[in-house]
Amino acid sequence: MSSPYLRRRITNALAMVLSTLATLVGLAFLAWILWETLRQGISALDLKLFTKITAYGEDGGLANAMVGSLIINFIGIAIATPIGVLAGTWLAEYADRTKLGESIRFLNDILLSAPSIVMGLFVYTIIVLPTTVLTHGSTTFSGFAGGVALALIALPVIVRTTDEMLRLVPSTLREAALSLGVPQWKLTLQILIRAARSGIITGVLLALARISGETAPLLFTAFGNNYMAINPIEKMSSLPQIIYQYANDPGDSMHALAWAGAFVVTMFVLLLSLGSRLILSRTKVSHD
Amino acid sequence: MPANQAALPTDILEQRSHRDARHERLFRWLLKGCALIVLAALLGAAGATLWGGREAFSTFGWHFLVSSAWDPGNDVYGALVPVYGTIATSFIALLIAVPVSFGIAVYLSEVAPTWLRTPVASAIELLAGIPSIIYGMWGLFVFAPFFANHIKPWLTNNLGNKPDDGKLSWVAEHVPFVGKLFGSDYPFGASILVAGIVLAIMIIPFISSVMREVFQTVPTRLKESAYALGSSTWEVSWDIVLPYTRSAVIGGIFLGLGRALGETMAVTFVLGNAMQLSASLLDPGTSIASTIANQFSEASGLQKSSLMALAFLLFVVTFIVLLIARLMLRQLARKEGR
Amino acid sequence: MTDSALATNPASAVATSAVAPKLTVRDLHFYYNGFHALKGINMDIPEKKVTAIIGPSGCGKSTLLRIFNRIYAIYPKLEAKGEVVLDGDNILDPSYSMNRLRSKVGMVFQKPVPFPMTIFENVAYGIRHHEKLSKSDMEARVEQALRSAALWDEVKDKLKQNALGLSGGQQQRLCIARAIALKPEVLLLDEPTSALDPIATGRIEQLVEELKSEFTIVIVTHNMQQAARCSDLTAFMYMGELIEFDQTEKIFTKPGKKQTEDYITGRFG
Repeated sequence: MSSPYLRRRITNALAMVLSTLATLVGLAFLAWILWETLRQGISALDLKLFTKITAYGEDGGLANAMVGSLIINFIGIAIATPIGVLAGTWLAEYADRTKLGESIRFLNDILLSAPSIVMGLFVYTIIVLPTTVLTHGSTTFSGFAGGVALALIALPVIVRTTDEMLRLVPSTLREAALSLGVPQWKLTLQILIRAARSGIITGVLLALARISGETAPLLFTAFGNNYMAINPIEKMSSLPQIIYQYANDPGDSMHALAWAGAFVVTMFVLLLSLGSRLILSRTKVSHD
Repeated sequence: MPANQAALPTDILEQRSHRDARHERLFRWLLKGCALIVLAALLGAAGATLWGGREAFSTFGWHFLVSSAWDPGNDVYGALVPVYGTIATSFIALLIAVPVSFGIAVYLSEVAPTWLRTPVASAIELLAGIPSIIYGMWGLFVFAPFFANHIKPWLTNNLGNKPDDGKLSWVAEHVPFVGKLFGSDYPFGASILVAGIVLAIMIIPFISSVMREVFQTVPTRLKESAYALGSSTWEVSWDIVLPYTRSAVIGGIFLGLGRALGETMAVTFVLGNAMQLSASLLDPGTSIASTIANQFSEASGLQKSSLMALAFLLFVVTFIVLLIARLMLRQLARKEGR
Repeated sequence: MTDSALATNPASAVATSAVAPKLTVRDLHFYYNGFHALKGINMDIPEKKVTAIIGPSGCGKSTLLRIFNRIYAIYPKLEAKGEVVLDGDNILDPSYSMNRLRSKVGMVFQKPVPFPMTIFENVAYGIRHHEKLSKSDMEARVEQALRSAALWDEVKDKLKQNALGLSGGQQQRLCIARAIALKPEVLLLDEPTSALDPIATGRIEQLVEELKSEFTIVIVTHNMQQAARCSDLTAFMYMGELIEFDQTEKIFTKPGKKQTEDYITGRFG
């Protein structure tokens, strides 16, 4: 066997081993992180998590944070969904191959990974600060401001999926409707969005998964609240914010509560992303 | 059905056409307005932080960028320490994440048996779905202590200039810089290096999924002809696949870098929150995002403005990095004719 | 009458002069992205007859059909020059409203494209845009359209079901029902059976035969037997030009042009 041949074979074998190893390392860390979250989270699970509020500290639960998370996420999705769907529709149906359309599609991709803490500061500046001035100086953090911050993070996800899903709708459907004399706006709202419905819903679910774990943008908008708050103009607690606060606390029992919160958030997010993937794969099959 | 009878009077049709055109215009404006919100969000975030940071910029000028001072007592602030921490952690993250992601992408597109590819790829992508605060918690409670107990002693004793027993290792004595990089008498795990590692784990799924996607765009006949010439799997990956997809691979790496630079929660927990400039990677530090997260709620006046100025810097830098990433990724899409 | 006059002289009116032309095409040119796709087409399409357009793929036959209801106008960079006169008005004139044009000219496409809604709604959808009908009038209108499209008996018990559940042939007949529900005068069929099996194709062809008493039908097909079976007149197009346009029987038995004969006998295309 000639030596260059042998060297090539050794190089190849080494590369194969290393690439397999890299994958195993990636999977190992995934397993490690999930395992710790499950183990520590489950052992800290307790009924009082869902019934008591954080004001009781280590004897309390996370009820207000869970309710807060639900409200803030709901506000975020409720704002981002209509705007995102319409904006994505504009990109796919009205501005495809135009300069402005291409630029916005491009910038949307950048917004997709923009630092979320800066988005929090942006919303702080445009909502929290002005209302603070209106109320003569008492800082007006609010669940609503938190929702707006999350909406800005959900928005590019929804814009992108809507855009992509609409571009998958065959152009024959557009032609068929237009040939009946139906104007484009009716065609878009009543036929195209309906045809791309499951894909768009998937995008909304993915956006929800994305914002459910976001912490940084909430620190200076919703802020946190140790008591149950339902009214979105009040300060509001959320699971990620409580996890952040409790994990930084020196007390071990607080850490257990933080793990419990982490467990709840992780399960919610993973189930959402698994569920949306399932919808997506099913629709792909039925379209073929 | 007498078809021709039903034709509607022309004036009604014309009227309806006018109405349709009006609705169409309204609808277009509504849609365009929504799309412009994307633009407004980006401009607004840049504008708001620049406006918020105006006091810091006008007080310190360019000095803000190069000063390592962060002294709320004397109201003097500089960006150097958090900027250094941000760049150092992101750089370490890339150093680890790029080769690992490349390995994963090669494994998933060339090495793994076909039936294994989808489940493994989905599992790796699951990593991308885990909220960053979970990475942070895992880093704080699990990985940092593990690092402090098992990895750090080895590093300080064998590479660092401050070993526990006082005897310098051969490396620390003879190789420049390495001793400083790994010398530390800080007893805890939280450090620039640990933050870099946690960030690396976080961005690996992003980079590897981009790489895997672009590897799949390489035409099969290109790979097959190389295999037909007797090339090995590694040679095909390194000599055919990588050059073909180079710009998109770089794009994927920059995408990961953009994530790493702007990440808050995964690093804040494991960086140690220390406003100090240390040559050692094993010492604690801070990053732009974690400085903001830690200090903003209690800051006021010039300190608040300096934090806003930091946010502006972060936003501009990540914007540029992400811009490069997207441009690089678009090149492959063009080649594909997409 | 010489062959070239047939194709180029608008006054020739072919051998169809017995019937008044419904659609008159005069010196029609079509460009996309600078490509000259139709080169001076002239033809008179008679009322309440079936006119087939045949030719090899890329000859411009679908393009021509898509000009007849200006559906091409939804894409940028496409341009038509010349005249297409429908009942005395040039439909290419920008002032000719889309609503008017599309209520007069219906179209059915290659692949069946039911809307993602119920069978009933598929037919009612277009009507609703043009007319305000009471519930019972609408039901009657939908039934009438479905009957005309020979689909009523198959779907009358499942009008509330999603149209995507129908078979390919049923979907295509639903599309025909949808088009004729608007009571157009001209019905354009763009290779309506190319995605269907022979049995479904046979039903559509039979339907075309039935519908010609009410509509002026123009059908584009790549299937010569289909043109021979169900059309009264046949136009042969090649490379963006109208080579020959005459009675179907004549085209298929005694074509006037060498190119037509070559195509019909399968020497190219």
